[in-house]
Amino acid sequence: MRDLLSRVLEEAVQKFGAEYAEARAQNISKTMLTVKEEKIEAAKEGIENGVALRVLVSGAWGFASVGSFEAEMLRDAISQACKMAKAASEKLKNPIKIVRGKAIEDRVTVKPKKNPSEVPIEDKVKTMLEIAKTVLKFDGRVKSCTVDYLDLVGTSLFLNSEGTYIEQDKLYVWSRVLATARENDIYTFSREEVGSTAGYEIFDVETPQKVGEMVAKRAVNQLKAKTPKGGTFPAVLGPNVVGVFVHEAFGHLAEADLTLSGSVLMDKLGEKVASDVVTIYDDGTIEGAFGSYKYDDEGIPAQKTLLVKDGVVVGLMHNRETAQKFNVQPTGNARAEDFRVEPIIRMRNTFMAPRDYTFEELAEDIKFGYYFKSFRGGQANLDGTFQVGIQEGYEIVKGEVGEPVRNASISGNTLETLHKVDAVGKDFELWPGRCGKGQTAFVCDGGPHVRVWEVLVGGGA
Amino acid sequence: MAALKEEEVLSLAEFAAKSALKKGADEAEAFAYEGLTTTVAIERGQIAKSSRIVDRGLGIRTIVNKAVGFSYTNILTDKAAIEKTVSKAVKSARASKPDKDWQGLPSKKPFPEVKGGFDKAICELSPDDLVKAASVMLEACEKTDKRVFPIEGGVGASYLSRAVVNSNGVAGFDHGTIIECSLATVAQESGEVTPVCFEFNAERLYKIDPEWVGVEAAKQAASALKAKRVETKPTKVVLAHFALQQLLYYTLMEAIKADCVQRNQSALQGKVGEKVASEIVTIHDDGLMNEGLRTWKFDGEGVPQQKTVIIEKGTLRGFIYDSYTAKKERKESTGNAFRAGYLSTPRIEATNLRFAPGKKTPEELVGEIDEGLLVYSVQGAHSSNPASGEFSVVATPAWKIKNGKIAHAVKGAMLAGNIFEALKNVSALANNERKIGQLVAPWIVVENVKVIGK
Repeated sequence: MRDLLSRVLEEAVQKFGAEYAEARAQNISKTMLTVKEEKIEAAKEGIENGVALRVLVSGAWGFASVGSFEAEMLRDAISQACKMAKAASEKLKNPIKIVRGKAIEDRVTVKPKKNPSEVPIEDKVKTMLEIAKTVLKFDGRVKSCTVDYLDLVGTSLFLNSEGTYIEQDKLYVWSRVLATARENDIYTFSREEVGSTAGYEIFDVETPQKVGEMVAKRAVNQLKAKTPKGGTFPAVLGPNVVGVFVHEAFGHLAEADLTLSGSVLMDKLGEKVASDVVTIYDDGTIEGAFGSYKYDDEGIPAQKTLLVKDGVVVGLMHNRETAQKFNVQPTGNARAEDFRVEPIIRMRNTFMAPRDYTFEELAEDIKFGYYFKSFRGGQANLDGTFQVGIQEGYEIVKGEVGEPVRNASISGNTLETLHKVDAVGKDFELWPGRCGKGQTAFVCDGGPHVRVWEVLVGGGA
Repeated sequence: MAALKEEEVLSLAEFAAKSALKKGADEAEAFAYEGLTTTVAIERGQIAKSSRIVDRGLGIRTIVNKAVGFSYTNILTDKAAIEKTVSKAVKSARASKPDKDWQGLPSKKPFPEVKGGFDKAICELSPDDLVKAASVMLEACEKTDKRVFPIEGGVGASYLSRAVVNSNGVAGFDHGTIIECSLATVAQESGEVTPVCFEFNAERLYKIDPEWVGVEAAKQAASALKAKRVETKPTKVVLAHFALQQLLYYTLMEAIKADCVQRNQSALQGKVGEKVASEIVTIHDDGLMNEGLRTWKFDGEGVPQQKTVIIEKGTLRGFIYDSYTAKKERKESTGNAFRAGYLSTPRIEATNLRFAPGKKTPEELVGEIDEGLLVYSVQGAHSSNPASGEFSVVATPAWKIKNGKIAHAVKGAMLAGNIFEALKNVSALANNERKIGQLVAPWIVVENVKVIGK
């Protein structure tokens, strides 16, 4: 395989004059299950084999993807990729340049305690049914439960025209639990995800009982929740909400491709964008975390990247192309979902660093406000407008957590809101999730509990 | 790379389905898929890349003792690999648990004729043709307003084919084309950056208008400058195409799925025959719509697509079904089993959900509003509560309407409410129907939406 792909890349350089060429070959098996209530909808297994070829010719990118390892198909694909690049380069204003690297040769293996490919599908079925059973048995008002399961195991080869050759094992285990509860005309909804790159042993920690009860309890508690008042209020955000805020509201703006597209961070590098207590990292090196890996899909080692230090933006997330534009080194954030798509800048495990407050200290000065514990979706815009939906929230009255609120969401301008973070807790949690940017990436995000002295709260109906 | 021929695709699917029966499946179904896509991408003001993606595969569903198994592969050149996949599907079914509600794969029915789904001209486009279209769009944008920066977009052309064969005698092949151009823009002026604005044009036939997309994407961004805050109060809101599509996708489009209804997850459960929307609201799911983006002869399990009434003059008439949920209620499937290529088993999705248009032009619609909000797009619709229909989103970009005219752009306004209440408060419809993903709809006016401004 290595020889074949080297020859294909060689052809791009020799025959088509490519300035740079890379190949990514993947050999992946997936197992998927969907449980609805206590029924398995289908047990699914699949194979996805293929090669992605990317070339830089005359300053433009060409890309071709084929679901095959056959020499003939690959030669055809590389010539297509080069021709595509050539066609795209016709109208080029600024030729693309990339940061060059040294040749790396490495073999990355995973050593799971329980390899999902060795766990019988019957056991996976049993575990997912157990989650569903826990959810449904929790309370008669729980009306439905959907459990999805995915594991992905295989290898990915990366070669480029600089002589790099990386063979990397891939392992992901993921599950999502959804529940709805109903009482009269009130419908509530609750969701949780489990994700790991360590192995199937994640379910020994995130046990069916633990996950199932958490989801069911939230759906039921929300039944008696009231709708929040609309307007600006002080709030304590839980690690789960801080995570999605750091990821959606700030993180995307710090993906250098989006920064260059005109995100509000463009002219803010080196400047204060948040209060002194805010420090944010994007870290690809946390062992077993859902967003971790050793090398990215441009063959660059993952690292721990400091984005905001004590309120000042000190770094962005880069691929080879944006790093060249900013005259820095790539940060290992180039990721491709699979061989069908090209790598783009993605987050890994993104979080706010903890400081020194206890939860009680964060809440004690709030006469009336909200405690937003868990999110349901979030989205940001380049101008810094963000929205985060809340699936679990409570009132804070005179420093104490009070009654639950339903269907709240928070919004505002990211940088204004980061300036309003006035106290950061000493606890820390990291939550797995999936991020969409045209492609899906497995990530984590998190942080400690955090107090924001003012945030816009969108009420329910 | 040339597309696979009808006979080739059908014979692959037949081979897989037969082989599953031989290996002990009670029933079997094979779904073959091919997608050939060429795109030219715009990044930060220039055409900078181009790609060609070939994706082929076969998904096999098997049933053993009422338990369902599924397996797929993207290696089609080798019969041994297909047989291995079939064996896995049978093994998966054996590992799964019987479902007492399983009543068999669909049986054979004649396929309807569909129009405007395939255009040979799209298959024949070269990368150079797509580069040309992309640069027309880019130049049109740049010429329209100097303050506007085209951040990303492109032109993509696809050929898609699908075949379904099952052990009940269903055997069908269909193919089609899609071409799309899109442009996302922001405008910048004296330190202000607008939210991302977006325009696109997607068609089954080769008749996209990249110049229009470029001009509109630029105009939209330029008019989003100088945004001001608005007051918190109940407001008359015009939902433009994107905003409506985003809000309905996570709420109404979930609530009409028979699966959600049967599983107590739909606020529309038990409401057939009742008023669920304003008198002027009529919605069909039309899987046969001429040139519809999701028009095909048959759905993901080989059931003919059809036109299904969902809401008629405000009254709920029915839901959308696949064959599993239909058989559970002793009904006929409405042809709404959707497949995401060969990678998954079918799930229920709308085809072309068509919101019947009104008679007014969009200008007339806005002209009749003394005070209101025109919302092009919303942020955060995916955080809606799919079970209850409650939403809480940011309107962006949006404009304030005063005395029948657009007064100024609006920033940071949140909209909160319940989509089923909103449907009851629809007071007017424009005549500017257009296709966006699964939705085909005009601009609509909704009374009394809770707007949280500052």
